[in-house]
Amino acid sequence: MSFKEYLKSEISSFFIVVTLVNIATFVLGSIFQPDARFGYDAFLSPLVFGVLSMIPTLITYCSHELSMKQMLVRKILQFFCLEVILIFACFGRKVFEPEYRPTVIAFAVSVLIIDLLVHMICWFLDKKTADQLTHDLQSYQDSVE
Amino acid sequence: MDIRVKQIKPEEKELVAIYCHEVNDEVVEIVDFVKSRQGTVGATSDGRRYEIAVTDVFYIEAIDNRTFLYCKNHTYECRQKLYELEEVLSNKSFIRISKSVLVNLMKIQSISPALNGRFLATLKNGEEIIISRKYVPDLKNRLKKH
Repeated sequence: MSFKEYLKSEISSFFIVVTLVNIATFVLGSIFQPDARFGYDAFLSPLVFGVLSMIPTLITYCSHELSMKQMLVRKILQFFCLEVILIFACFGRKVFEPEYRPTVIAFAVSVLIIDLLVHMICWFLDKKTADQLTHDLQSYQDSVE
Repeated sequence: MDIRVKQIKPEEKELVAIYCHEVNDEVVEIVDFVKSRQGTVGATSDGRRYEIAVTDVFYIEAIDNRTFLYCKNHTYECRQKLYELEEVLSNKSFIRISKSVLVNLMKIQSISPALNGRFLATLKNGEEIIISRKYVPDLKNRLKKH
């Protein structure tokens, strides 16, 4: 797969991430800073997080086809990179300050949940496609046999 | 052995059926002949040359400029390049599913999701091969056209 095709295929993941980041911002904000008020620039943050979340997906890009094991290893690496990038993008040096620890942990957990949800949604969509393909394949085999 | 040939309507499927008391060498030979009439690919294994019936090939893979045919229990090497085989076999239920693999659609048992938008084809001999997401639209179209 060329790099251009790879980027195209990641677009759906990007929009799923943006939607889930919006939901996570609402949930975490309601818990930790319920009285906070934002300007219009706040609307950009889910998009920025979406773009940042796409950077570690480069780890899973390969010009040749990876085996399931290789892909799984790269996915795990991708997740750890994602956590590091997003935590540092959000907290910077504050990440090492003790009073921010609960917020950082909650943020890291929310990144994990979002990552799992993105994979679950993608898997669910792929499962539907796979079931349809299997059904079409059986019809094809019946018609050819 | 009696031989019966019955002419059927064009919309009906053509079929060769053998009714026998046991599947002996003679029957296997007849089956192989019928298969060979549906197309064969020249290939080698352990220095010997074979004509492999296309219908027996599960998938074809190119590895380091070499082409391998995978049958139920045996692997053969073929001189032809993958793209040459793709051209020849595209009208015989073969389709490309990744940069280096052609699969026989008649040998796929089921398709399931794999990681990262790819799919896993489970073949009728239990082997699993990856369908690259780049080739999924082609596969969809091929199956829908039918």
